[in-house]
Amino acid sequence: MAMRFRGRRRHVLRYWVIVAALLLGSVYFLKSEFPYSEQNKWKNLVEQSTLKNVRFDAKVSEVSGVRSGVSAYLMTDKENPIVSINFLFKNAGYAGDDAREQGIAVMTAVLLGEGAGSYAGSALKEELENRGIRISFAAGKDDFTGSLLTTKENLQKAAEFLNLMLTKPRFEKKDIARVQKQMVNALLRQQENPNQVLALEFNKELFGRHPYAQNPLGKEADILAADDKKLRRFVHRNLITGNLLVGIAGDIDSAEASALLDKMFAGLPRKGSVNFVRPADIDFNGRVRQINRNTGQNVTLKAVRGVARTDADFYPLFVANHILGGAGLTSRLSQKIREEKGLTYGVYTYLQVDDKAPLIVAGFSSTEDKYAEAEKLFVQEWSAFGQNGVSEEELDKAKDYLLASHNLRFASIENVAAMLTAMQKYNLGLDFLQKRNDYIRALTLEEVNRVARKYFVPQMVSARIGTF
Amino acid sequence: MLVCFDTQAKLFNAETFVLDNGLEVVVVPNRRAPIVKQMLWYKNGSVGEAPGKGGSAHLLEHLMFRGTKKTPGQTFNRLMEENGIESNAFTSLDVTAYHQLLDISRLELAMALEADRMQNLQINKQDFALERDIVFQERKQRIDNNPLAQFGEELRRVLWQGSPYGRPVTGTEEEILNLSPTDVEAYYRQNYIPNRAVLVLSGYLDATVARSLAEKYYGAPDAGKVLSAEQVFPKLKNIRARVDMRLPDVQTPRWLKLFAVSSYGHKPEDVYPLQLLAAYMGGGETSKLYKKLVLRDKKALSVSVDYDPLSQSYGIFSISAVPAAGVRIETLEQALQAAWEESLRELSLDEIQNTKQKMLAGLIYLRDNPEDAAYIIGAMRSAGVPLAEIESQDDKIREVDYHAVRKAAATMMSDAPQVTGILQPEVKDGDAL
Repeated sequence: MAMRFRGRRRHVLRYWVIVAALLLGSVYFLKSEFPYSEQNKWKNLVEQSTLKNVRFDAKVSEVSGVRSGVSAYLMTDKENPIVSINFLFKNAGYAGDDAREQGIAVMTAVLLGEGAGSYAGSALKEELENRGIRISFAAGKDDFTGSLLTTKENLQKAAEFLNLMLTKPRFEKKDIARVQKQMVNALLRQQENPNQVLALEFNKELFGRHPYAQNPLGKEADILAADDKKLRRFVHRNLITGNLLVGIAGDIDSAEASALLDKMFAGLPRKGSVNFVRPADIDFNGRVRQINRNTGQNVTLKAVRGVARTDADFYPLFVANHILGGAGLTSRLSQKIREEKGLTYGVYTYLQVDDKAPLIVAGFSSTEDKYAEAEKLFVQEWSAFGQNGVSEEELDKAKDYLLASHNLRFASIENVAAMLTAMQKYNLGLDFLQKRNDYIRALTLEEVNRVARKYFVPQMVSARIGTF
Repeated sequence: MLVCFDTQAKLFNAETFVLDNGLEVVVVPNRRAPIVKQMLWYKNGSVGEAPGKGGSAHLLEHLMFRGTKKTPGQTFNRLMEENGIESNAFTSLDVTAYHQLLDISRLELAMALEADRMQNLQINKQDFALERDIVFQERKQRIDNNPLAQFGEELRRVLWQGSPYGRPVTGTEEEILNLSPTDVEAYYRQNYIPNRAVLVLSGYLDATVARSLAEKYYGAPDAGKVLSAEQVFPKLKNIRARVDMRLPDVQTPRWLKLFAVSSYGHKPEDVYPLQLLAAYMGGGETSKLYKKLVLRDKKALSVSVDYDPLSQSYGIFSISAVPAAGVRIETLEQALQAAWEESLRELSLDEIQNTKQKMLAGLIYLRDNPEDAAYIIGAMRSAGVPLAEIESQDDKIREVDYHAVRKAAATMMSDAPQVTGILQPEVKDGDAL
């Protein structure tokens, strides 16, 4: 397969995917080559279309388990007899790993699926696979997340299994030993691909002594020193109802969802002892970390300070980012460096909204002979954007994209469930999906250009790999 | 305890019709949200390229975003963006597909634009040169910056024995740099015809609406002359080849074996037994090989078996493994061989029932996302699978006799061209060879 590059979701971590689903957008840089009459002809095609906008309510409600006290956002959808559940334990991600236990959150995420209750060996996986129940866990930078996908028919059984995994994991010696070896091997494999090497080194350069600098998989010595005691300690301290957010979507009504919450999360402690991770203090001073390696292409990553998802500047910044580098082929950077010069297959920017260090990240790759020119054009475009901002026309087109693409987020039921969790994490409210287009419409040119000037500053932190 | 949906139910509830010019249309209703995935599949990929013109199908795919008479320059991309449409495309050996995810109110626009570029593409010299540079960069990014991609490319080259299926979809660097607008135009004129394409509309619409829109927007292009598929069907010798590859950045060894086997396009009756064989042997962490090789023998850190039957010629059956630290490749290979044979001896009616159960239990999720449904149906129709068969995958899986699975394994091992590949770190100075 030779998929064309659409950049922005390449190096992106889990939360960004969710945020992108919340506010996915794109815009182009207008050139004046296009005859006005032709433009109108295509526009008329939309206006005269027999298929009009369909009002789509996307009603979200809140439900709670009576006994567990766990609440969730719910979107009922009866299109298929399927239920998807997404959950998130706040602040239980890998950045909170104890200093000598780097990798414990990730290892827990893997081992929770290995055996629980009386199901030893492969028995638990057999039970799940036979019913088509899919349960998985993951440790991101900030949070520990999980998901469950099941048919309506197996919903109750699925909830029982999930509860068993969360409350009675077996953490058997032989499973731990195997997962340790698999993780150490994964650390080796990271070093094979220049993009992964660069991402790891970029994090170290950016975050220094902050826990965000650590390898997402942990440290070899710590992985090998982990045991069932440490894993249980991680579970008791972190997987607690006091920091749990849940999204439920699919063929399930609110009464069923309430009962299900009790079933899934019964027996979890309300309180634990979650590690506090301090905000990262990054000095964006223009430094460049260079890794010399014989690669097919030179690759670079760059970042400046961004804003939290909950920040008042988020929406104008999101739109500004799209105009510069978020829109795919029609972004300013893609137009200048890819479409007009052919210097790269992909150049992109995106907002990374991690809790302790929100960033605007940019990246591109180019062969050694063309890299310097691509870099020069990147710096030119970035600076011009920071100085001059966007035009009224660019802003209008960006809004058009964001408004017209609003419903695309509902394609997958699993995306919907993840979005419901993210809406809680970022305090967007039950009516976010109804209000979101109004937030977009209300943006002014002045606001967008104020944040463009404030955040797209010339002093970045960069890392690059290749031959320079 | 078999948990399957009833045998009358269809997997996608799709409907199909054919326009006068031969364009096949498949409609997959899904009413969750007012959105549609449009996919236009041309049943031609890199395999249909003229000799020495490797990469022309893929470069053409890129140029399809560079304008027609009615949409000069970046107009197509800009219309997509301002209408909130997610637009992309891909090229493979046998197909080239263009696709958009969009709000239902934008469907007519997207249909008009897709139909327009089926026959009205204009390639100017400057765009051509730029896009050739871009696909060159794409190859560098995808292959040269990824040791595993280089390994896979080399194995396929050997397995396919000089046939067009063994060429990289992107073309080689040399081929890319030597392509001319004439090469790409020739491919375009020959292959972008309605009677070699499948249009899939998946989402918030029904067949009646889809038919009137398809006739309105896709009815104009004339049918073209279809070249016989026989021309590219490779005659492969029953080889046993080995590739020992060493690359500087590789940190841990890999073992990979490829077999050229039956596919939907070539002896489709073998497809379902082979699917069951792959799932039974190496489909996930409850499979036979994983349990034996990883959990019991501890010779490997991972092992998996995959089978891709979506081809107009041979399908590819593959077994891959990562040896545990300190386990020599030869030792892994022997253990794998022993585990394979042991698993074959254990293959019984009950075991295959269990494998079927796992395959059937997940089928229903395929119709959740209109994007997935469009992809699966488009890929299978392009490979020649009748719609009725796509709809009754569950029955097809149920019908397989366990003896047929055993026979598929035996036939593959004796008759299929096969390549074993070993990827290892580069030998350092002082290492004994």
